[in-house]
Amino acid sequence: MPELSVVAPLYNESENVSPLVAWILEALVTYPASFEVILVDDGSRDDTWARIADAAAANPHVHGLRLGRNVGQTAAMMAGFDHARGRVVVSLDGDLQNDPRDIPMLVAKLDEGFDLVCGWRQQRQDKLILRKVPSWVANRIIRRLTGVAITDNGCSLKAYRRDLLDRITLYAEQHRFIPALSASVGARITELPVRHHARRFGESKYGISRTVKVLVDLITLKMITTFRSRPLVGFALASTPLVVLSAGFAALWVYAATNFGPEKANALVFPGAALLWLGAAFYLAMLGLVAEVALSSERTGARDVPTAWEVR
Amino acid sequence: MTAEGALVEPITDERSKVPGSADVRLVSVIVPVVERTDDLMLLYHAFAGELERRGEEHEFLFVFDGGFVAPPELTLLSQANASVRLLSFARTFGETAALRLGIERSRGDVIVTLPAYFQVQAEGIGPLLDALQDGADLVVANRSPRVDSWLNRLQSRGFHWMLRSVTDHRFHDIACGVRVMRRSTAEALPLYGDLHRFIPALALREGYRVDEVAVPQHPGDARTRVYGPGIYLRRLLDVAAFFFLAKFTEKPLRFFGLVGSVCFGLGALTSLVLLVERIGGQAIANRPLLLLAVLLVALGVQLMGLGLVGEIIVHLRSPHRRAYRVRERV
Repeated sequence: MPELSVVAPLYNESENVSPLVAWILEALVTYPASFEVILVDDGSRDDTWARIADAAAANPHVHGLRLGRNVGQTAAMMAGFDHARGRVVVSLDGDLQNDPRDIPMLVAKLDEGFDLVCGWRQQRQDKLILRKVPSWVANRIIRRLTGVAITDNGCSLKAYRRDLLDRITLYAEQHRFIPALSASVGARITELPVRHHARRFGESKYGISRTVKVLVDLITLKMITTFRSRPLVGFALASTPLVVLSAGFAALWVYAATNFGPEKANALVFPGAALLWLGAAFYLAMLGLVAEVALSSERTGARDVPTAWEVR
Repeated sequence: MTAEGALVEPITDERSKVPGSADVRLVSVIVPVVERTDDLMLLYHAFAGELERRGEEHEFLFVFDGGFVAPPELTLLSQANASVRLLSFARTFGETAALRLGIERSRGDVIVTLPAYFQVQAEGIGPLLDALQDGADLVVANRSPRVDSWLNRLQSRGFHWMLRSVTDHRFHDIACGVRVMRRSTAEALPLYGDLHRFIPALALREGYRVDEVAVPQHPGDARTRVYGPGIYLRRLLDVAAFFFLAKFTEKPLRFFGLVGSVCFGLGALTSLVLLVERIGGQAIANRPLLLLAVLLVALGVQLMGLGLVGEIIVHLRSPHRRAYRVRERV
């Protein structure tokens, strides 16, 4: 069993495969324990897979996984994690923007008693408006919303303890929220500045279009990290502003009815608004009950069982 | 999405059995007897004869939906011949359920699904099996040349046109009942509801290789098909259900959130306009627009709430699911 597994998802990165492998192997030459490199081909349309197969044939440390179709970064990373055998797993991007020479440093930090060490691209080499600004805003919101003090959630270069990966399941596009999801199962998390390089080959697969999606995903993140074991509380909290609105309109109704004579008292605006908001609040609370039903019918898995970590 | 329950253990489906390799493979032909049927004995002899001519070892499973009874000759045949098996539903469960039962009860390395009527010429089965040998995981017949009426073709065109919004892959005859697939592929298909029409697209989503092979249409398939409006509505709903399944089952809030925020936004905008008019001195209490505005805002909130419930359910199921399938390892 290798001690360390390095996982890199690749999508249409054929030019980057061999430099990446060479670079990782070079960075790990002095690594004292055994290691493996797992390259995941996420349904590339170019000859990424052929290059991975070449690399795997040339070096016993290198393994390749070819996915049936393009499933996206999160699922590709999960494929790598599921096949990784190391006690410590390090993920990085397949586009050479992360620097494999940082791997030993991250692993050393992990061994100081952390479950997750996140890379922090202090000198990020990407386009300002399209990449850095949205990322800065998103990171701020994630920090505020989850209370997990990680500066750079989007950096793929991270080191995980195997125990942690056994406790979280990533799906949809949750690779951005790994620190928050890890914190929700009680992981000890820290960050370290890492090197970052401008893209040499190939194209970035990201654009500004994901901003709205990320915002929607953040609502989900809040719900599942904070309220997954008590969704009714989450829905009840979400319905409180509606109850307040309803009460406000009800107060206006009473005020108008008592001060402006029968004509105003019969107007339907205020009572109508009050009742509609109350109805919406009631509906949300009922949905919370549906979520509770779903939760109780789930026998195993994601229920918020308090995770006991071995004392290290 | 992978098949439920297949999990935690890294899923790898190496091609252990290469069809057509030296060891003899078994071809299981599943015939769901639902809605339309031709003479089943004729059908059996035509396709069994063709498989024998090719030297394929085969078994036939006829799955009778509720209300369909096996013809006596076929019952006699199945009593005499162990490679012909008859299964029967106690009530109507439909074609998807019939296919699933057939797949579960069959033993073959290769699964062939065949409608209970002559849809393609029996000779067409050969090229389909060959395509599987060339590395495809699932092969669907494309009835071509078509011999049926323009009305049938028009309906088919309409159906495929709707499908274009759902799958990236352009299918020509996705709903054709003649399909050939590997056992592993068949078992990984999430078959429920009316999803049998989308089997090739489902296999693609699971990460399998899907090919289309042109097979001459049988003249018996040429009968003009005209249905009641209810049937067409069902087809439309099928496509809608598949669309939702394909795009949003992992992230329901993206769908409900989008629809919800559009409602909420429109309602808020309308409210704002009304507020401006009120400040400008107009009475708004008797305007129906006010009702619409409040309704839209409340509806938006409710839709987002629904999406959140969906997200919680998806999250609860997540430890059992994997979105990827490993095709190869080195």
